[in-house]
Amino acid sequence: MSEDYHVVGTRIVQPDAAAKATGQARFAGDIHLPGMLTAKVLRSPYPHAEVVSMDTSRAKEIPGVAYILTPWELGDWNTFDRGMKDMPLVEGYRVPPEEGVVNRRARHFGDPVAAVAATDERTAEEAVSLIDVDYRELPFVTDAAESMRAGAPGISPHAERNIAKHLTYPFPEGDVEKALAEADLVVEGSFRSGKQEHCTQETAACVAFVDAGGRLNVWSQCQLAHLARRELSHIFKIPVRKIKLMTPFVGGSFGQRGALCAEPIAAALALRTKRPVKLVFSREENFVGLESRTGFDDITISLGFKKDGTLTAFKTNMLGRLGGYMGCGPMASVIGMTLSMGHYRCPNRAGSADMVLTNTPPSGAMRGFGNEFMTFGMEQLMDEAAEKLGMDPVDIRLKNAKKAGDTAALGLKLESTYFEDCLRVGVEKFGWKEKRETPRSEEGKIKRGYGMATMSHCTGAAPLYLEHSNALVKFNEDGSVDLTVHPAPVGQHIWGALSQICAEELGIEAEDVHIVTGDTDVTLFEYGSDASRSTYAVGGATLRAARQAKEQLLARAAGMLGVPAGDLYLRDRTVFSRTNPDRSLSIARVCYEAIYSFGGKAENFSGKQSFEPVWNSPNYGAYFAEVEVNTETGRVTVPRFVTVIDCGTAVNPMAVEGQLEGGLQQGIGLALTENYVINRETGVVETTNYDSYKVPTAPDMPASEVYIVNKPDPKGPFGAKGVGEPGMVGIAPAIANAIHNAVGVRVRELPITPERLLGALIPS
Amino acid sequence: MKTIARYVVNGEPYELAVEPFQLLIEVLREQLGLTGTKHSCGVGNCGACTVLVDGKPVLSCMTLAVTARDKQITTIEGLARGGELHPLQKAFVEYGAIQCGYCTPGMILSAEALLEKFPDPSEEQVREAVSGNICRCTGYVKIVEAVLAAARGNERSLDR
Repeated sequence: MSEDYHVVGTRIVQPDAAAKATGQARFAGDIHLPGMLTAKVLRSPYPHAEVVSMDTSRAKEIPGVAYILTPWELGDWNTFDRGMKDMPLVEGYRVPPEEGVVNRRARHFGDPVAAVAATDERTAEEAVSLIDVDYRELPFVTDAAESMRAGAPGISPHAERNIAKHLTYPFPEGDVEKALAEADLVVEGSFRSGKQEHCTQETAACVAFVDAGGRLNVWSQCQLAHLARRELSHIFKIPVRKIKLMTPFVGGSFGQRGALCAEPIAAALALRTKRPVKLVFSREENFVGLESRTGFDDITISLGFKKDGTLTAFKTNMLGRLGGYMGCGPMASVIGMTLSMGHYRCPNRAGSADMVLTNTPPSGAMRGFGNEFMTFGMEQLMDEAAEKLGMDPVDIRLKNAKKAGDTAALGLKLESTYFEDCLRVGVEKFGWKEKRETPRSEEGKIKRGYGMATMSHCTGAAPLYLEHSNALVKFNEDGSVDLTVHPAPVGQHIWGALSQICAEELGIEAEDVHIVTGDTDVTLFEYGSDASRSTYAVGGATLRAARQAKEQLLARAAGMLGVPAGDLYLRDRTVFSRTNPDRSLSIARVCYEAIYSFGGKAENFSGKQSFEPVWNSPNYGAYFAEVEVNTETGRVTVPRFVTVIDCGTAVNPMAVEGQLEGGLQQGIGLALTENYVINRETGVVETTNYDSYKVPTAPDMPASEVYIVNKPDPKGPFGAKGVGEPGMVGIAPAIANAIHNAVGVRVRELPITPERLLGALIPS
Repeated sequence: MKTIARYVVNGEPYELAVEPFQLLIEVLREQLGLTGTKHSCGVGNCGACTVLVDGKPVLSCMTLAVTARDKQITTIEGLARGGELHPLQKAFVEYGAIQCGYCTPGMILSAEALLEKFPDPSEEQVREAVSGNICRCTGYVKIVEAVLAAARGNERSLDR
């Protein structure tokens, strides 16, 4: 720790951990209300089809069926964009609201076409199976290049040649073509990636009901709660004041809950039946009915270098596969091409992307949000360049490292970077030089390899997105604090981090801070938790609000002690005088006197502050992988992995480690096993549960080591930067580079399945 | 047709009317309100619904309720005694082994079954014991640490 902090930097236990360990924590699916109905969704079995007619008479006859919602019964409800970008959020960027609560025209396998509310799940399921639908099948496309071709079936009236968005690199510089022409070395590569499913252990779930006062109450998993309330208001034409949106515990997000999930259908059925409705997706529905990671049919990158390894040119063209609706997916290109250049100086930069609709399940944000795929390509090309220039992979990265004061990825001044420290620590802890330079026996079918990669990511999405966080800090008479905030409790230990930030400023313990949250009736506006922003932005608002409350407390204490407020400081739940250490008062006593003061001087110390980030402090990481490649089976295992992170001050090192260790599981899945298969002949998704879609389990995981550079950023609260996404971003390229080190080939498509690797090892 | 079945759940005897097709998870969550047992994949692939039946880990989403009649069932709600967390629960809390918490009940019960059989397991044994429990948040690192710590009776150790 570079500062003398007492609470920040400690490994506190999470305020919600005991509730989760005992089964008391209530998730959306655990909510039960009297008279509650259970909903089930009828989904299109075709990738592109028109519902010509729908006969619900047989389904309606089943006892217990309360309501069947078909596309003909949507009344005047609005269509929407589940990514919630159809209303101002990103300047000049709109996504047309094209999705209905249920749809007459199905754009992908699994698109909802009807929904049933019934007394119980089995009845609802039976009713769904008895809805007779007359579909007219339409021609469909599953890949982006085919979708853009003349004569391909049109998917949206808003997308000519199915190109939903043509986006360009937002911070171009120099003349990239000239720089490539003049470069001593040009390395180029085309990379490809499938989708990745978030596989949140809790599936999408929502409970909604209309209360006696006519307000729509919704338990929503959305990680952007206030935006979800706005979007529901827009869909159902209900004023925001008539919607109460509550956030229960959420069983994982990783970006998926940044879009609306089960809310529209559950709310629609509650509005129609005037009864509580619960909708919980099956695992299979999660795979086809939610936004999953945006896949790219092609990411072509060209890099130019001088002989000494100086990077002079960066150019990319991306072709993204969005699925049936635009949603959050298009931004994966801009985020990817921007952030992948966050750690390298490069005077000539250009890029463009075509983000194309296809008849596949929709795409959106997942941890990394495009940066993981761009970095997968970039970091392999950096290795190729190093090899051709006779440099160590670490040295070529150090050579091009950005420094504080440079322009950061998102066009802002770079406040802090400890990227070089990440590399130095990683080299030492991993034993990079010895491992790479020690000759290996090449006998046997198992080949060992060592590889590394680096990355930079963001802390929030400002200035690309319009963001805004608020916090309310209120002292109680016992010296404890209620902190009212509304980040998404998706498992990232955010309540603990905010309580630490608040407690540090107020000289109390983290356990003295009670988090009040999860209800839009109570919380101030919160943009929400995405882009690794909560600790930084909600933490920033918390720190400011705490400071405001602290000033009131100090002023009061100054009067009580007869010393100037400037002489006072807070520590150990006590107000101390700097100049006269004998003069002190417990914080509780000051609070009590202020609240229970009947002489016309009553006061409740409180602070309410907004924080609209105009800074974006990037985080940096270095990743070192050891792999074993079985050259007979093509199977790759990862015995050891070292991650080094610069996330500013680690507010809670245990939580930071947790983010990086968890990111490693998802990163190994992305790199090696998680293969989302869409049948090109039928448009059907073939991997809809864990038997066919393989996420790493405990025995699959390497010995993982995480090192935190832990140096403060000048802008973040107590120097903190974001850390949620970095865990994911550098994993796949480090593994790919290690595979190359082991067997000398590169697979440029994710995941690197045994088939693909054998294909590369055995030239046809 | 419903039949009357007896269970001892978390030490309490119950007599319940269950349908022949009803799953154990449904009886626990819906009839007894024990929502700590979680539903996730529905087909026995992920372990979120793990409960102990006569001390053995069982996937309650794959188990017909009638087949567990007359048996001792332990859910996550039954581990803490007298307001004290079970050593595994304590270790999971202290070691940061809980993130979103959705896999936690099943994970802890799988670990409990392991420690009943092997009080001093190796790291490999722990990894193997929870290999049927998918966690998407933690990378299993702190989960394995917590189980080993609980086995060593060292469930509180924050100053590493």
